Parts: sequence; C-alpha cells; structure tokens
Amino acid sequence: MYRIVPNISRSGLPTLQALAAGSSAISPEARKVHRIAKEVAESVEQSHALFGEKASALSQLAELAAECSEPSWDEESANAIDPAAVLTAQRLVRALPDGISLPEFAPEPDGSISLDWIQSRNHLLSLSIGPTDRLAYAWLDGTDRGHAVVRFDGCNIPPLLLNGIIGIVGLGNAGLRAA
Amino acid sequence: MLASGLPEIIADGEDLARFLPSSSLFNARMAKPAAFLPSVSHRETSVFRHGSEPSDALWAIGVEHVARTRTLHGAAIVKAHDVRAAGLEVIANEPPPRHAAIRGWPWPEDDDELRKAQQKERASLLASKATLLRR
Repeated sequence: MYRIVPNISRSGLPTLQALAAGSSAISPEARKVHRIAKEVAESVEQSHALFGEKASALSQLAELAAECSEPSWDEESANAIDPAAVLTAQRLVRALPDGISLPEFAPEPDGSISLDWIQSRNHLLSLSIGPTDRLAYAWLDGTDRGHAVVRFDGCNIPPLLLNGIIGIVGLGNAGLRAA
Repeated sequence: MLASGLPEIIADGEDLARFLPSSSLFNARMAKPAAFLPSVSHRETSVFRHGSEPSDALWAIGVEHVARTRTLHGAAIVKAHDVRAAGLEVIANEPPPRHAAIRGWPWPEDDDELRKAQQKERASLLASKATLLRR
C-alpha cells in the first residue's frame, strides 16, 4: 500500500511552503493548517524528486532506442530496437513502485530491450522486454540462479518479478513511501 | 593448426574477447548480460581469441572486424572454461583470424520468451565472470 500524494503543481508549491514555514500560528486551527501544509509540502517535494529519477531513466531509454533504431547497430546482424518494446519498457518503468531502484538499459540482438538491476557481479536481475506482454528474465543471487517468464498488463509489475527485483537490490528508500 | 597459428581446439584457459559496440552494453563495473546474447540469425555469439594484452593488438582486431563504422567502446574478456561452465560451447571459427563462436544456446522453437529467459541466465553467468576493458 502506498501513500497518496496530492496532485499539486510546482506553481502551487511556493504557497504551500510558505504556509508550512509559518511559525507564528496561535490558534489550534492555524497550527493544524501549518502541520498539514508541512506534511503535504514534504510529500510533494519527495514526489517531484522521485519523478525526476524516472524522467531521467525514461530519457536514457529514449536515447538507447534512437541509438539502436537501425538494424545492425552492433555491426553484426542485430535487429533494430522494436518500438513496441520501447513502449512496454516505458510503461514498466512508470509502474515501478517509488523507492525501487531504477534499471539500467541495454539493447539486445533480437530488438528487445534489457532492463538490468545490478547490485554486484553475482547479484543481478536482467529482464528482457520484447514485442509481446510476456517478459523473460534471469537472475544471479550468489550461488543461486534461475530464469522465469511473467506477463505484464502494462500497469502492474507482476509480483513474482517485483519480489525478484527487491530480492536482488533491496527496497532502497521504498520505506519512505510505503504507508 | 589454424591459419592464425592457433590450435583448432580452444583450451579452457584461453581468453575470449567479446567486443562492445555500444556504451549501453556495460556499466562502470562490468559488461551487462545483453553483451553476450547470441545473434538471432547465426544463433551464436561472436568472440575473438585474445586477452587484454597486448591492448593495441586487441583494439586493432575490434576495429577491423567488429566496429567498422561505429565506435568501439570496449571489450569483455572471459575464459573459455567459464563459457563451458555456463553450459555453452566455444569453437574456433576462422576466418577472420582468431575468430571463435560461442554456441549451444538454448533455443526452444515454440516459445520466444522462454528461449530468452534461458539464454539470459547463461549470458548473466558469462557477464559475472567477464573482465571489462574500456577503450
């Protein structure tokens, strides 16, 4: 379960911050407004910070798609990155719960996109996104390793995959966002 | 003996260089699993029988045979025994000189995603063992 973050635009943030910063409140109502404004301002700031990370990841994904948009990007026989794979990868990044580390991206010879969560050489999860809604992935976790295929509906990260990612890279700052 | 002067059988201790034509195929620490995935058309991963030294000779091979029109960003060096330990095989495949191919990738014909998942597990093993050289 995740905290609901109010949808407040950046233009409204200064007003909110001013309310939150006010310290001369005397009445209980004014103190309550001050406390709520402070909480909301903190949530909004955190939301913007986290969105910034996802925006950066999506930008990297777009750069990769452009770099590998033609066949033989590897000077061998690689397929061009599949636009459907790019779209699914964007959806998956957006669907990742806040606080989960964002993946690194890599092109694959068949036109799929690899999303990699690399904690170390022996602790990693590598996910492949191709033209379908079925996602292939494999992991190394010390001496344990394996592979699986899951279906992604475009909105919700399959629990098996999410648990796999968390098992490899941990929760990061997810605790800040969990209710 | 092959035209390159190398023996036909690749010894377990030999170094194999997988050239990296995209900076997205590695990070600051290591080559990513995608760097080792096989070509779809040939069902093999192209490598060269060369270690990290001498580096001039290594990069000359990469520029001549791999990155003809693109920037060569680096190479991942893996031992032949690590390839075999991952359940794959590596065989000499000249020309060009020193060229070899990693073969034996799982290839179930009726399920592309299962194929990819199985290949990724093996590619991840290779990535975990490889030494990254940046150019």
